[in-house]
Amino acid sequence: MKTSLRSRLVLGTACFALLGVITYACKNFLDTPAQGTLDQNALLTHAGVEGSLIATYRMLDCSEDVGSWGCAASNWPFGDITSDDAYKGSEATDQPGATQIELYNWTTGQAPDYLDQKWSTVYEGVVRANSTLRLLEQVRTAKPGEISDAVAKAIAGEALFLRAHYHFEAWRMWGNVPYYYETDTDFRKPNDLGVDSVPKLILKDLDSAIVLLGPSKTPRNGEAGRATSWTAKAYRGRVQIYTKDFAGALATFNDVTANGPYALETSFDHVWTGFQALKNGKETIFAFEASSNDGEPSGWNANWGERLNFPHSGSPFGCCGFHQPSQNLLNFYAVDGVTGLPKAIVSPGTWNTRNATWIASVADTVDPRLDWTVGRDSVPYKDWGFHTPEWIRASGYGGPYSPKKNVHEQASGSQSTVGWQVQQLNSVHIHLYRYADLLLMQAEALVKSGGSLVTATTLVNQIRTRAAQTAQGCGGAVSASPKTKAESIFVAKYPLCAGDTRMVVPINDSTIRWATYKVGLYPTFPDTATAMTAIRAERRLELGMEGQRFFDLRRYGQAYATQTINDYLTVEKTRRTYKQAQLPFAVRNMYFPIPPIEIDLSKIGGVDKLVQNNGW
Amino acid sequence: MQKVYRAVGITFLFLLTLGGTALAQGTQVSGTVTSATTGEKLWGVTVRVKGTQTQTVTDQQGRYALVAPADAVLTFAEIGYRGKEQPVNSQTTLDVALEQAPTMLSEVVVTGYTSQRRGDITSAISSVDLSSTDKQTSASVLQRLDGRVPGVTVNSSGSPGSRTTVRIRGVSSFHDNDPLYIIDGTPVQESYLNFLNPADIGEIQVLKDASSASIYGSRASNGVIIIETKKGRPGGRQARLEVRTGVATPTRGLDDMLMSNTLEYFDVIKRSYVNAHSGDPTPWPLDSMPKEIKAIYGDPANPEVPRWTYVDPGAIVSKDIWGRPDSINTAAYSYPNLLIMPGSAGTNWWKAVFSPAQFSDANLGLSGGGADNSYNVSFNYLKQDGTGAYSQFQRGTLRVNTAFNVGRLTIGENMAIGREQGYGGIDDGGIGEDNIIGKNILMQPVVPVRDIAGNFASGKFSGGGNNTNPLKYAFSHRFDKTLTDRGIGNAFAGIDLVRNLAFKTRFSFNVFQQGQNGFTPITPENSEPNTVNGIFDNERRGTDWTISNTLNYNWTTASHNLTALLGQEAHSETQRFITGSIAALLNDDPSSRYIQDALGSAASKNVSSTGSLDRLLSFFGKADYNYAQRYYASATLRRDGSSKFAPSHRWGTFPAFNVGWRASRESFFPQNGFFSNVMVRFGWGETGNQQIPGGRIVAQFGGDRGDTFYDISGTGTIQPGFRQVALGNPNVKWETNKSTNVGLDLEFLQGRGNFTVDVYNRRTEGLLYDPRLPSTAGAANPAIGNFGTMSNKGFDFALAYSGTISGNKVWSVAFNGSHYKNKILRIDGVTQAFFGPVGTRIGVAVINQVGQPIGAFYGLQANGYFPDSVDALAHRTNALGTCDTAPCQDAALPGRIRFVDVNKDGVITAADKTIIGSPHPDFTGGLDLGFRMGAWDFSATIFGSFGGQIFDAQKDFYVFRDFSTNVVKDRLTDSFCLPADEGCTHPYDKNAKYPRLDQFDASSPVISSYYVESATYVRLRTLQVGWQVPASLIRWLPSARIYLQAENLFTITGYEGLDPALPAAAATGASGDIRDQARGIDQGIYPSNRTITVGISTTF
Repeated sequence: MKTSLRSRLVLGTACFALLGVITYACKNFLDTPAQGTLDQNALLTHAGVEGSLIATYRMLDCSEDVGSWGCAASNWPFGDITSDDAYKGSEATDQPGATQIELYNWTTGQAPDYLDQKWSTVYEGVVRANSTLRLLEQVRTAKPGEISDAVAKAIAGEALFLRAHYHFEAWRMWGNVPYYYETDTDFRKPNDLGVDSVPKLILKDLDSAIVLLGPSKTPRNGEAGRATSWTAKAYRGRVQIYTKDFAGALATFNDVTANGPYALETSFDHVWTGFQALKNGKETIFAFEASSNDGEPSGWNANWGERLNFPHSGSPFGCCGFHQPSQNLLNFYAVDGVTGLPKAIVSPGTWNTRNATWIASVADTVDPRLDWTVGRDSVPYKDWGFHTPEWIRASGYGGPYSPKKNVHEQASGSQSTVGWQVQQLNSVHIHLYRYADLLLMQAEALVKSGGSLVTATTLVNQIRTRAAQTAQGCGGAVSASPKTKAESIFVAKYPLCAGDTRMVVPINDSTIRWATYKVGLYPTFPDTATAMTAIRAERRLELGMEGQRFFDLRRYGQAYATQTINDYLTVEKTRRTYKQAQLPFAVRNMYFPIPPIEIDLSKIGGVDKLVQNNGW
Repeated sequence: MQKVYRAVGITFLFLLTLGGTALAQGTQVSGTVTSATTGEKLWGVTVRVKGTQTQTVTDQQGRYALVAPADAVLTFAEIGYRGKEQPVNSQTTLDVALEQAPTMLSEVVVTGYTSQRRGDITSAISSVDLSSTDKQTSASVLQRLDGRVPGVTVNSSGSPGSRTTVRIRGVSSFHDNDPLYIIDGTPVQESYLNFLNPADIGEIQVLKDASSASIYGSRASNGVIIIETKKGRPGGRQARLEVRTGVATPTRGLDDMLMSNTLEYFDVIKRSYVNAHSGDPTPWPLDSMPKEIKAIYGDPANPEVPRWTYVDPGAIVSKDIWGRPDSINTAAYSYPNLLIMPGSAGTNWWKAVFSPAQFSDANLGLSGGGADNSYNVSFNYLKQDGTGAYSQFQRGTLRVNTAFNVGRLTIGENMAIGREQGYGGIDDGGIGEDNIIGKNILMQPVVPVRDIAGNFASGKFSGGGNNTNPLKYAFSHRFDKTLTDRGIGNAFAGIDLVRNLAFKTRFSFNVFQQGQNGFTPITPENSEPNTVNGIFDNERRGTDWTISNTLNYNWTTASHNLTALLGQEAHSETQRFITGSIAALLNDDPSSRYIQDALGSAASKNVSSTGSLDRLLSFFGKADYNYAQRYYASATLRRDGSSKFAPSHRWGTFPAFNVGWRASRESFFPQNGFFSNVMVRFGWGETGNQQIPGGRIVAQFGGDRGDTFYDISGTGTIQPGFRQVALGNPNVKWETNKSTNVGLDLEFLQGRGNFTVDVYNRRTEGLLYDPRLPSTAGAANPAIGNFGTMSNKGFDFALAYSGTISGNKVWSVAFNGSHYKNKILRIDGVTQAFFGPVGTRIGVAVINQVGQPIGAFYGLQANGYFPDSVDALAHRTNALGTCDTAPCQDAALPGRIRFVDVNKDGVITAADKTIIGSPHPDFTGGLDLGFRMGAWDFSATIFGSFGGQIFDAQKDFYVFRDFSTNVVKDRLTDSFCLPADEGCTHPYDKNAKYPRLDQFDASSPVISSYYVESATYVRLRTLQVGWQVPASLIRWLPSARIYLQAENLFTITGYEGLDPALPAAAATGASGDIRDQARGIDQGIYPSNRTITVGISTTF
């Protein structure tokens, strides 16, 4: 009994102990690595650094993980619907955040969410740029020889350029913004640099980038999306002109125009296009290289930020009717039949009196860029058949016009075959900076710095000459989709279009029955005031609906912005009743309010490190 | 047998020393005490010679022996049983059966690796009265716990098979607050227990405080719910068949709230436009209404129900002066390219989607056993149709529990396999606009259910909103199935090593495989049409296993009772998830819904997989001691290692102790007084939490074709990109919950009544939390660290009494109540507040702020309406950001909501946002009433929740008509109005329920206290009438009971939304389940059901 008891006791305890020891001895039992992810060491390679740089470029537009519309590369919510170019569009209650942005209630409702999307997007861009610089440094230290000096320089140059770009976006939105470097570890830096100091830091990064990128006019690896020193130089000029350093800007622009690789496209329609052969032409300085059918199964790399900005349900695109051109913008394209100059220049008192809808009519003399920029009824819409009232979501609210530049040509094959709403997904590159923009800034810098008015006139006329080359043609009604009606309907309206598949025609082509196109050249500007008026008008005509207008207005000065916006509102609220609710432009509108959530998150010890802009 | 004699002997000797004079005069009386209900032998029953100090307790075999005078009267007392007096009458053997006190449960309860006598429990443990949960019909037993267990709150929706959210004593942490469930020893940490057949459950114990739960140390900080399934009992075979069926209807429908008349709704649109002004309150001319509205209703002065709401331009022959098609070519109709939709005089969208639904549940069980074996086998089939169209939940389970004795060895297993299949319901994540409830609100009455060809219609016309037909939504998801196969159970072996020392080893497993497939249809009838269909196909596989080894020691004398436990456990959880999708199926028939290149757009094919691997290693010990069931002490220590933490922070130690004093056993305590048991308890302990994703100790990098890849060459070819996706923190460690509990148990009037109250203070420290970083730090998931502190203080109590009226009439009443106060004491030392997850169309309505409870509502404070133009214009902000009279408010107009300038800076801005409510109730209580009279029995359960609030985000739709949605019925009659407004009967009414109808009013709908409503409600949860069928009636059945019951028969509430019993909506953040940061936000819930059931239960 006693022995058996003892042996059982021993056996039992032994069993217990054994089991415990076995598990405990497996000391790896608790070492389980993170599943389905890469660790930092896996990226300490040349490929890892290049990948990090690619990801930095990717933040030029919204991405799958940083969504919504405030992140749009084109800045349409901040640069267009806040200006006299466009309304938010769609329906009154759709995207109320954008409505509040349009109505200047920038701290009301969900307007701060839109602003925070922009803030988050640009700073994620900065973070990716800085990660690239850090990773590059780590690889260079840990694995000398992994990346050649030349490549390392180029990578650093591109990353610095992108860091400058993202900070510039932040600065022109908010003015008082913090600047982040690859060495920063504190992400609650105060925004106390001063509005004027931020661009100096941007310029410093651009200057470094220019040196690192070297003189080559060809982007690295021949990859068109990459920045070269010329991209950085052109950007430098833009920053200079924003800081009113006109002399400096002029010098920079002179260098770029004289020695750089850029030129105007021969035809205006080649700028915003879905045709692969026309993309990244001479005019492109910097663009978001939207891609569709690139193997990504949901179309996330297409024109993410623009996908609301298509005609609505009666159209071949189906949705969503945002970013609608204003009546004011349409009126601005009206041309004096005699001189061919904008009526806004020739008859400044009466150009904006027209309240009637601009529909196809040969009685209207307009700038041909109108019908590359705006979709209007009975005018061919690129090669999609003609725009009809059914394309508009709520014309009683957002008016009868549609955006057009961001829309792909049906024949381009640019449309995505995958994703949510394939008709609204295309690979039309979003131009962040193009040569026409540069030339007009060059003209501005010239005039502002007391330079030659003759040269300035030439620069503006260079833009106008190009504009006069081509106009919207019949656009191949035969291939129109069922939605936009068969050729029979098209031809019933425009018999001359029978069998005419040309989307682009000379501006005096006989088939054109929807407008009379005319572009006159300016005689030499007699004085700087006239010159500035003409340059500003030309910028609006050329860059309309490209997200630049509001930033330009502010750049022209508070008085100019106030007068322009308030004149616009006085008239526009009689055309679009909801505009009655819009606040006029005031001092505080010179900068957007910093998203309150970011101010809140910047707190250290209860003290806000980010300080709100004046008036907000 | 030897043991018994020994115990008797010891008792006898013990009594000798105490006995005194009684010894000389008495004779020895002995006997066995059993339970009158179950026949179980009762251990620890106090047997006393009435009027003397002579007493003893029964041993584990229920035996007692003492010396008593021949004419003495013996009293028998035991917690949970009715006291009994029995005269000796010169007998030497006196066997006694004690009747169980109502609401009390079995004598011995499983409290974690071991069992305890109920009377010996000195920590806060609540047992669930399962007879009461059986009166409910939900698929999950958890759903039936609502209001049953003091200190436990339960939320779930009326959707078939929906998940349940269970919280014990408040909310411990910022995320992952599900209790730990131990099902026959298998740990499960998620509140989805639909795989468990409620009829299989033998007992449920809720371990509420740390002193009880710390034996499960590592994961017990949210409390532990121990579920033991029914085991067989030696004895004859018993079969039990229970069948019930019923009909469920929603407790309330949206048609009780919303407009369903087209022209009435037009009036809302019309007044919204006529009143839509920027400054001047004079009504606008009717003619100013947008032409797209006129193109539907015609002349605003004389509106008509439209013949058509949408006609494709290709079918329009001519239009009238209002732009309405007056002649169309219906033959041109072609789906999906050329649609024609009629107008409706008023569609009742609720009725289109919701209707009564059937429920049925059948259980067959067999149990029994022999001298060395026991078994329990059961089958269950449950089918629950949803009240929403095309939704259903089905479950089938098979359970086999067996045990065998082989000498000193006991081996056995408890195992269940089951399949659950559900489709079409709304899971707890399906909130907001994206479900059949949300879409119901979005539909205007003028929209017909179907178009002229019988296809589904929707609001394609201008101003029709961007909604999807909810019936179409339900219809097209009817083949979207979630199918889960599961095997859960354990095998165990125990051996009595030596007397009082037992070793037990157990291998538990929980393996499941879940398939989920879904379909997205094209929606050409929508204003924002979806033109490409698609499917997804998910497969999830989970394997959890646990090995536990325990050593039990037991030492009992007449006065000393000691049990000790030593254990070791290893636990592993593996999951692997693969998801795939493809779009543009050529054939959308279910037979073609597979991910194959040829079946759809090959380029859209997308596949990815993820997984997790987490492990725990634990050592633990526990000792319980009591002296004469008078003084109690117990101590627990557990040490856990978690694979989620770095080696240096891996191990956590969780101690606990508790003490108890049973005053009623003291000699000074009056005998046979009012109280028969008085016990005071105190406990303190620590528990831990490690509920974060694995691998977060290191920085993680990744990428995605749609996020980091980029077409740098501009040729349509993307190149790979990488970014940091998560920041790591090697220092992250266990979150600790320290809890103190003081309890009092009272039993009175010979056990007819009892009362238990517990007061607690729980404090969670080192809260695992990923504080949001400013966006300047980038989009990577922030690191998880141990930052915050949260406190929960409260009490819970239960009071029960039962009485007898003249013989066979028995009545009982039980009441339980709970209160907790949750408070965030610290977030990360830097941040004072952070916002909850974004969830509503109008933005974030939730803040987590120091000093406030988790998930508090945050917004502007509404202060009535601007009473008139003079007042409004004085406060109206001008372009300079100033106004005539502070505070300035953007877009101030009469009848718009006025807000409070909380920070007194003279301007209403986001800085004036403040705490405007809390979803946490102040008090929840359940009342159980029972009455039995002969063969009849009646019972009722009433549940009440008081003091909580709901942020009714749906008001954005049904009050403010955001996105042209439907509105509440009284929007025309109970809105603020000005004298000139059409139909204005009470101008300037500051008590109007709604602001002035105003199309341009963008300021009133912002997040404010206007959305906050009281969530207080009282609900008749169940009402049941049962009848025991007399044996004479059905001879072939020894026993049968039939019953009729109703659930949720009525609700008393002031809440105007669908259902004040709001389920917690799923919300997931980078660190885990963050639903507690989004409680009480009404975004379109599936309301609770009113279910009428008839059932029969028989044993044979």
